[in-house]
Amino acid sequence: MFAALYFKEWREKALVFFFELGVLVALLAAPFLFRDRADVQEWLVYAILMIFFPFAALVLGAAGFETESGQGAWAYLFSRPVSRPTIWLSKFGALLSMFAALWLVFYVARAVLPSVAELAELPGFVFPMYDLGTVFPWWSLGLSLFLLMVAFSLSLLRGRQFNILVVALILGLLFPAVLWALVVSRTGGLMAWLAPARAFRTLLIGLILITLAFAGASLLTLKRSDFSQPGKQLRTFVGWLAAFLALAATVTVGSALFIPVPGERHLDFIGSADNWAVYCTERGLFSYDAASGRVRWLTKRQNALSWFNSIAKDRLAYTVKKLESRNDVTQEIWVTNTDGTGQKCLVGRDTPGAWLPDDSIRSLAISPDGRTIAILTESVSRHEKLKTWRTATLWTVNADGSGLEKRSLEAMFPDGPEENLYLAFAAWAREGKVLIIVKRCSREPVRWSLWAYDLERRTAIKLRDDAAPVSWWPLNPKSRDVLAVRHRHGDEWPGTLALLNLASGEETEIAGVGNLRVRWDPNEEKLLLIDRRKGPEARESSVLTVYSLAAGKAIAERTFTDLDDIYYGYWTTWMPDGQSLLAIDRKGRSLRILGPELEDAGRIDLPARIQKPSGFEVVGDKVLILASSKKSFRGSLWRFDLVKKSWKRLY
Amino acid sequence: MSELLRIEHLSKSFGRKQVLKDLSLSVESGRVYGLLGRNGEGKTTLARILMGVIPADGGVITFKGRRIGFGQSAYKREFGYVPEDPFFYEDMTIRGLVNFNARFYPRWDRKRIAADLERFGLDPKSRFGTLSRGQKLKLGLAVALAAAPEFLILDDPTSGLDVPTRQDFLRDVIRELAASGTTVLFATHLVHELERIVERLLVLHGGRLIVDEDFDKVKARHQASLEDIFVRLTAEA
Repeated sequence: MFAALYFKEWREKALVFFFELGVLVALLAAPFLFRDRADVQEWLVYAILMIFFPFAALVLGAAGFETESGQGAWAYLFSRPVSRPTIWLSKFGALLSMFAALWLVFYVARAVLPSVAELAELPGFVFPMYDLGTVFPWWSLGLSLFLLMVAFSLSLLRGRQFNILVVALILGLLFPAVLWALVVSRTGGLMAWLAPARAFRTLLIGLILITLAFAGASLLTLKRSDFSQPGKQLRTFVGWLAAFLALAATVTVGSALFIPVPGERHLDFIGSADNWAVYCTERGLFSYDAASGRVRWLTKRQNALSWFNSIAKDRLAYTVKKLESRNDVTQEIWVTNTDGTGQKCLVGRDTPGAWLPDDSIRSLAISPDGRTIAILTESVSRHEKLKTWRTATLWTVNADGSGLEKRSLEAMFPDGPEENLYLAFAAWAREGKVLIIVKRCSREPVRWSLWAYDLERRTAIKLRDDAAPVSWWPLNPKSRDVLAVRHRHGDEWPGTLALLNLASGEETEIAGVGNLRVRWDPNEEKLLLIDRRKGPEARESSVLTVYSLAAGKAIAERTFTDLDDIYYGYWTTWMPDGQSLLAIDRKGRSLRILGPELEDAGRIDLPARIQKPSGFEVVGDKVLILASSKKSFRGSLWRFDLVKKSWKRLY
Repeated sequence: MSELLRIEHLSKSFGRKQVLKDLSLSVESGRVYGLLGRNGEGKTTLARILMGVIPADGGVITFKGRRIGFGQSAYKREFGYVPEDPFFYEDMTIRGLVNFNARFYPRWDRKRIAADLERFGLDPKSRFGTLSRGQKLKLGLAVALAAAPEFLILDDPTSGLDVPTRQDFLRDVIRELAASGTTVLFATHLVHELERIVERLLVLHGGRLIVDEDFDKVKARHQASLEDIFVRLTAEA
């Protein structure tokens, strides 16, 4: 019976379906007529996703009960020995399969035609707070299915097809618009900005439940109401719809309030000091105050956060890419106190002094006293085939936004622009008067060099060739003009590790093979590093080492041979007392406390829900742990209280 | 004869107008029932309620001892229905309509419908929308008969037929059905149509069944034509 009704629907709606199919094929073929017009091609794809599919769904849906309504065949159909839910399902099933056939054509075109595949992604202005990337355009499919259901449900009401189309269009756009307005407004707790993942999930749940509300209302109206009385039928439909919508709203709000979101995207640590840590997620920068356990949302994500951040003296400087349109991107420099106060845009579109429209920011560093922010920018001098030649500029600006200065780095480019240039800040020296810059030129042979830029004299001098900082963060100890450097020849890995005195220029070699990053203890007297040595039978082993500046030698060592233990080296940090250390034992799924001699001094088991620890920070008496999800870019943040021995999931 | 259908305290209103009021009826199998009533007295409403097209406001209907609820559909396999208004799918051909219906009825008689279509002069290739009202009614009847129903509801089917067809229909089809044991409920306002075929008379007036009696007894008691009897009874009610 289902099949009989299903194929009857196909026969009835075949004309509409093939008309829509023809339009779709024409739209997909049209870009071939505009081979040289990328903008036209792009808008044709958008036209398919944003206009064609929603309207195709509306037209198909509005035709659902059009035949019975227009030709008065209600009595005939309902007097057949077939249940009304079967009639509903067969009709909707037929329409759904027609719509699926249209999407299948689009899917094949997307798979075959690169121009369609590249463009058939989410336009940024649809979900500005949520970067869905280059994925199948589920948004268009979802919206279209929603409209299909709304129009199909309304087609029961025996109105003229055009009226049903218009009402379905209004309702079909109104509900998503209301949901959207809720998640971006204060009424919805600014969810779109505070918790994009939650906002996106709420939108999805809301739309699915509203779709089900329309489905339920139409199904129950068809099943129970008297179709010889259109007014009564309308009242029945509205009654059921209102009830289901109320239920949908309750469940949606409930899910937003009470069901946790499985992790944030792009979760990572920015830095830490004393009692607080700064981390970023897709929605911006946050600070965690270990004393109060309070999380502060420092910055709203403004279109796209760049990767450059720097912390000093309870002050955070960061860069923002502000997207006005695809071709209008402004790079801004912001500063904020770590308690969330004093947030200010130092350099941007609306601040005095036009800012580097064509340059790209490469590095950012705030001075140890938190008063000066230095920015390295690179600009492309010329292109030739696939090669680019670049030069760099140093900028400084006061933390209050005044005194933006452009400083020449010509001395670093004696031969003019260089190919495949890389520049970054390595350290502050001499109480913030000198900036140490590392330069890498990728042109063979690859060369690394360390430079010192004197902010007062405005001069740049080379400190060392073949040297680069071992650790990029934190830059260097606040109280000592010393920098741990790795001498490297080209990109040879690893190199020798040495301590460079930035004041005197003297250098002390501390390890034969310095590997991975180093960590200064809280008192900045000891250095934690990992050394790699050849053992018996030329087997290479990793040696976790504590180097004392006062003693001028390693004062504790622990050798690891198991490859998994290498994580001890990378995922190890100092405890607040500056004596013991904390390490992540990924193999043993635990936190290990190591004593002053690097001996095992304690163990803290990780919760089962932390599947894959990917980073941690010790802040005061709390440990913050990042855990990766099986899905890329998603993570969760956990807190362990070293005093109370308790875990808490922050995200 | 066994009871095929029972209706108890059936009621139905459209807005403030109550069309059926506490209607009760027992239908025995194998008999031809004539349901008389003026226009708007509820004959079509009763037929539609029995076919599950519209819901009743109250009352109980049982078929072969089983209660029929609104929304149930299995019992309709044993029901035939020729509606007053023959609205089918306009773009469907007669063959398409026949094939469409064949899926619903387990006792579908292909030979019979082929014969009936030929008998009624209907071309299977014709589209339903091109048929006259009389042809549509004939097609409806052919489809209903092909389902080999135990209970056939004819809702004023002859009003659109020409005289020869109507006579043919009344004389041959109904008698043939009665002879085969099919129970027929023939609802009409054309009183004289029923006189030659009806076994039990039902008169619907003011939403109530004012007569539910064997036609022979009614006729013997009143010694008049059915038309006169109907006028007299409705006037008295």
